[in-house]
Amino acid sequence: MRFQLNFKSGKPVYLQLVDQVKSAAASGAVQPGELLPSIRPLAEELRVNRNTVAKAYAELENQRVIETIAGKGCFVRESGSPFKKDIRLKLLAQEIDDAVVQAHHLQIARAEFLRLAEDRFDAFEHKRTSAGS
Amino acid sequence: MITETPVIEVNGLVRRYGRTDAVNGIDLRVQAGRCYGFFGRNGAGKTTTIKCLLNLLRPTSGQAKLFGLDPARHEVAVKSRLAYVPDHVAFYPWMSVRETLDYFASFRGHWNLDTERRLLGQFRLDVRQKTSHLSKGQRTQLALITAICPEPELLVLDEPTSGLDPIVRREFIQTVIGAYQEGEPGRRTVFVSTHLISEFEGLIDEFTIIEHGRNVLTLPADTARERYQKIYARFSVEPAGLDLAGARVLRRQGREIEIVVNGNSSDVLERLRARSPETLTAESLSLEEIFVAALQPEGVTA
Repeated sequence: MRFQLNFKSGKPVYLQLVDQVKSAAASGAVQPGELLPSIRPLAEELRVNRNTVAKAYAELENQRVIETIAGKGCFVRESGSPFKKDIRLKLLAQEIDDAVVQAHHLQIARAEFLRLAEDRFDAFEHKRTSAGS
Repeated sequence: MITETPVIEVNGLVRRYGRTDAVNGIDLRVQAGRCYGFFGRNGAGKTTTIKCLLNLLRPTSGQAKLFGLDPARHEVAVKSRLAYVPDHVAFYPWMSVRETLDYFASFRGHWNLDTERRLLGQFRLDVRQKTSHLSKGQRTQLALITAICPEPELLVLDEPTSGLDPIVRREFIQTVIGAYQEGEPGRRTVFVSTHLISEFEGLIDEFTIIEHGRNVLTLPADTARERYQKIYARFSVEPAGLDLAGARVLRRQGREIEIVVNGNSSDVLERLRARSPETLTAESLSLEEIFVAALQPEGVTA
């Protein structure tokens, strides 16, 4: 998978890596069982501290997005979050709140916002089917 | 609670040259395993501080400790655990690359020949070449090999990439990440002084900015990028009586305004949002921009 870092996003670099793996897993850009690049080459390629990549992978392992097999590397797991559903919903609600606030400032009405959300679901599903074929 | 001894600890360091204070009360604390940036303009006191750390200069007052030890009293114990790449690298001109490496290795209890072979190949250095015939880039590469092969706990880099071409600079940083940080990352500390900050952006996890021999700002890099933000807003008409307390105005022209905030972005954003801007964006400053913002006189604040 390809990583793209943006030092101007205000989001800690390791979290950017975490989110990119999670979103790649959600869209099917990486499939369960697929191997992620190992820490050293990825750190060299992105020119970031090795510890940053190690921290991201540790966090992904914590969230059960990937699993590390000693001597073999880090693999994407079957999707399945360790959190209970209500906690998962709450986590998502925070993200949606941000988008709702943003929509307000961009003067996007509720109906349009919901239509966009549908479109995005379709887009991800489309990506997943074309990645799987 | 067990607190680990910092790899570098500097308290109130002062160093005068005659009547000039090159360093005037610097404090530093670098924990093991970190990649620490030491930023300042030319003449801010970076090299003087580093020379005090390496016992190449005696502090006028204050204290510098490496691995919890006084570098003047335990010079050998300290120097065997670190390596230093200065900005101007000098080797004996009559020695070949091979002889230079053997010479450096002779001072070291440990020397990773595997790493040496790999890096020589990667940098395409000819071991038979006399060091006087090496380019500036090749001399820096050789210095980096001599610094990394002993696998020291601390790598001190003083303006390591200034004056090098972009390809050599890239390779230099990749080597620090790859070859140096590979083994035992918890015990591989990098202390890099530079003003080419953007090159090291991804590598730095904490930094100190100094000016006129004094500390200006010390922060973890992620925290700094979260705190320092540039906000751009465009209104439908020129806003009157805009409350910009706590923000530094970079540009204000008609309907547009561009400001820098430090730590209070949500508060300032809220005030701007209340005026219903057409566009409102916020992005983090890069470490280089934070460096500039930290050293700019406060007079620009709105």
